[in-house]
Amino acid sequence: MIYLFIFIPFLALIVINLLPQGEGEFAGWAALAVFSAQLAAAALAACGLIGLGGGWLDQLLHFRLLSDRTGLLLLFLAGLVGGTALLSGWRLRGASRSNFINLLLIALTGINGLALASDLFSLYVFIEVVAVSSFVLIALFRERSGLEGSFKYLMMSALASVLMLSAVACFLVAADGMSFAAVRAALAVPGNYLARAALGLFLCGLFIKGGLVPFHGWLPDAYMSAPAPVSVFLAGIATKAAGLFTLVRLVRLAPASADLSAVLLLVGTLSIVVGALAALGQRDMKRMLAYSSISQMGYIVAALGTGSALGNAAALFHFFNHAVLKSQLFVNAAAVEEQTGTRDMDRLGGLAARLPVTGTTSVIAILSTAGLPPLSGFWSKLLIVIALWTAGHQFYAAIALLASGLTLAYFLSLQRRVFFGRLRPELENVKEAGAALLLPALGLSALTVGVGLVFPFILGMFIK
Amino acid sequence: MSSGALLLLLAVFVPVGGAFLLPLLGRWSASARNIMAFLLVLVSLACSTRLLLTVLTGQTAVYKFPFPLGMSFILSADGLAVFMAVVSALIGAIIVLFSFDYISHYENQNEYYFMVVLFLGSMTGLVYSQNLIFLYLFWELTAFASWRLIGFYRGRKDVLRADKAFLVTFFGALAMLIGFVFIYQQTGTFDLAAMKGLALPGLVVGLILCGILSKSATLPFQTWLPDAGVAPSPVTALLHAAVLVKIGVYVFARLFLMTFVLGAFWHTAVPVIAAASALIAAGAALIETDIKRVIAYSTVSQIGFIFLGLATGSLVGVVGGLLFILMHGLAKGGLFLSAGIIEQNARTKDITRMGGLFATMPVTAAAFAGCAFSIMGIPPFGGFFSKYFVIAGAVDSGQLWLALTFVLGAVLTIIYLFRLFNLIFLGPVKGIAAREGSRLMVFCVVLLAVLSLGAGALINYPAMAVRAAVAQMNGIVK
Repeated sequence: MIYLFIFIPFLALIVINLLPQGEGEFAGWAALAVFSAQLAAAALAACGLIGLGGGWLDQLLHFRLLSDRTGLLLLFLAGLVGGTALLSGWRLRGASRSNFINLLLIALTGINGLALASDLFSLYVFIEVVAVSSFVLIALFRERSGLEGSFKYLMMSALASVLMLSAVACFLVAADGMSFAAVRAALAVPGNYLARAALGLFLCGLFIKGGLVPFHGWLPDAYMSAPAPVSVFLAGIATKAAGLFTLVRLVRLAPASADLSAVLLLVGTLSIVVGALAALGQRDMKRMLAYSSISQMGYIVAALGTGSALGNAAALFHFFNHAVLKSQLFVNAAAVEEQTGTRDMDRLGGLAARLPVTGTTSVIAILSTAGLPPLSGFWSKLLIVIALWTAGHQFYAAIALLASGLTLAYFLSLQRRVFFGRLRPELENVKEAGAALLLPALGLSALTVGVGLVFPFILGMFIK
Repeated sequence: MSSGALLLLLAVFVPVGGAFLLPLLGRWSASARNIMAFLLVLVSLACSTRLLLTVLTGQTAVYKFPFPLGMSFILSADGLAVFMAVVSALIGAIIVLFSFDYISHYENQNEYYFMVVLFLGSMTGLVYSQNLIFLYLFWELTAFASWRLIGFYRGRKDVLRADKAFLVTFFGALAMLIGFVFIYQQTGTFDLAAMKGLALPGLVVGLILCGILSKSATLPFQTWLPDAGVAPSPVTALLHAAVLVKIGVYVFARLFLMTFVLGAFWHTAVPVIAAASALIAAGAALIETDIKRVIAYSTVSQIGFIFLGLATGSLVGVVGGLLFILMHGLAKGGLFLSAGIIEQNARTKDITRMGGLFATMPVTAAAFAGCAFSIMGIPPFGGFFSKYFVIAGAVDSGQLWLALTFVLGAVLTIIYLFRLFNLIFLGPVKGIAAREGSRLMVFCVVLLAVLSLGAGALINYPAMAVRAAVAQMNGIVK
């Protein structure tokens, strides 16, 4: 019953709001149940234990859903990261708590729609659902910085919407309908320049949505000014789903061409390098993570640029790793901010002594992001580099690989300024964060280590 | 599974896996954790020693677990690997023993033992790996462990230098990985056994050398090593003397002597780099006043000798280079550990503020002298044989000027080590009249000095192991 993925979050939203709110405890648990159920269902479906047919609803609805492994991956991650974000916002109280939970559920509906949409127009609609809920989430506390970040995002997104809508309009003319199959057919016709132009417009819109260089201006502000649990959700899944996942879908529709590949490789490598260099100079912990996010997304885009099966698989694997690692790091940042009241890395130091769990899990996450074996990030980067190299893009492969060194450089500086080193006297009384932040941190790092260790064993299954 | 394969798995995974239990054990009892750490390394040493006996009879042991994309996990015990594994586990075990007393009054001991044992286990894994990806994996694990260990004291300077060491070696390793990916495209596999006799283009050799030279702290990547002297002395002994810096040398032998064919250009270029490294570092050791920096620069200088021996490609040189790994590890480990005792008891690292310590710590002084003699290359200490063979190898391959340069390097070694000994142990007492270290610590340094002497007096036995290793190499001009 694949439709349930879209209906259940939506129904939960209605039910939660119909019931008396009280302290909001029930709403939290109900939302957590939705996220966990989605996580479990996606995992079971990926193992083939649950069928993904539409059932009798297929007869009733005109709207068709696409169920493939790529979509399941996004469903799984949405459950995982959404649950993590929910837990890290568990301490919110009053109106912001109910707003947070409601908006998370709306965004989840949107992401699930994205994962399952089988035509470009629905894809666009669901992108907007995710985007609108993100705008409000960023400004959850209605503070000046939050509103500013949200406004920037809104403006850039509006531009992206214009581009994507124009692309949709062009496809309406150039293709025989909006479904993926029709668009693919239109793009395969050699002389169909309108369809190609539309593809280009849509790509530009997605680059803005994903925050890739040179369209990245809004992203660090949005991530930084968002409340801590919101930035977990934004960085972990929301912008990735709206920008990158859609990009994966779109790139797969187009026939392999040197031009497309050149654009993706260029934007990808540019993001890798610019993001990493910008991250090196940051003082604010979340801002550094935001730039790091841009850099890591670059790897995914560059891998898509190879156009090979291995490249696609590597891109999705890195997508998975990146979602897990970035959520983990933002959860760690949330813990640090909650316990010390600051994110300014120059005012922190030696926190590993007081926040042992947060410190250890963040070491695992940064090393995995930098591509240190045997953690999961190493394998996805290795596959990306091999895919780039064997596709004949040796230069890009070398840049991608050496940029891992930059990744390690800025993350070591984060470690040094926040966790490693001697404890500052004014931080003497800091305590470890609560269970709501530690549980997701532990779970996500267990996933990082586990996937890294198991990966060679599932490699064969994976590359098929 | 054959017994050889089982031994290989035990040698690698007992320390690597056991390391993770040490912090848990340490919460319960500190001495249980210490003994457990020592036992883990001993198990690895025992397995490797047993494999050495297998190899001496002319056999090899292999464990293979197939993975797709040419990434099969292969451990293989040939002469070179077993020799290296025994050397590093032996010295590692002595250093762990030394740490019991040395580290006992600092914080973060759980992490210390965890990292030391993880480091030694990864080293063993690296040595036995027959697949470039897993070699890289263990390579980076050692880098990670040394990062935590160098920053052990957590001061601002310690942590900065730990980061520096990690970054330099990581960048080198990335360059090397590019080389590996290139090889992968050529051969479709990362399995070293399938690459025997492959000739590599110059660029790829250069990239791989970046990794090797950065790990072995050779010019132009040497600066992280003296800086990393801020670590506790057993760590510096472990990283800088005995094990970590030998990784680069070992991988050089593994790749360019056992597997690929090195072009004629590199048979000259590598020794020239090594010579520059040896002389410049020796000069730095002559003027430094920090006891550990002197010894660290001495390491950089001596590594140059090893590279000379391995890179000339002559039989005598290679034998000398491999023996050098053993002799230098024993003696330099002893020097660093003695420096640890001195530093802890004299409460300074500045040699100009020491002096006259021979009277108050005679046993340490004698051990220090023994180890220094071995490094200088004075017979019958082990260091003499290795140094002699290395220089003879250079002469053998017709590179007389290089040989002379290294003789000059050897003379400088003698000068700076005498200066060091003089300033610390002889003359009037300038600072604190430091006492001897604890019995266990002194025992460890004496043991290393005696082993240095023994390895020279009974040169037959290490030479036997080295000959078994050399017999399996293909890159040697005989």
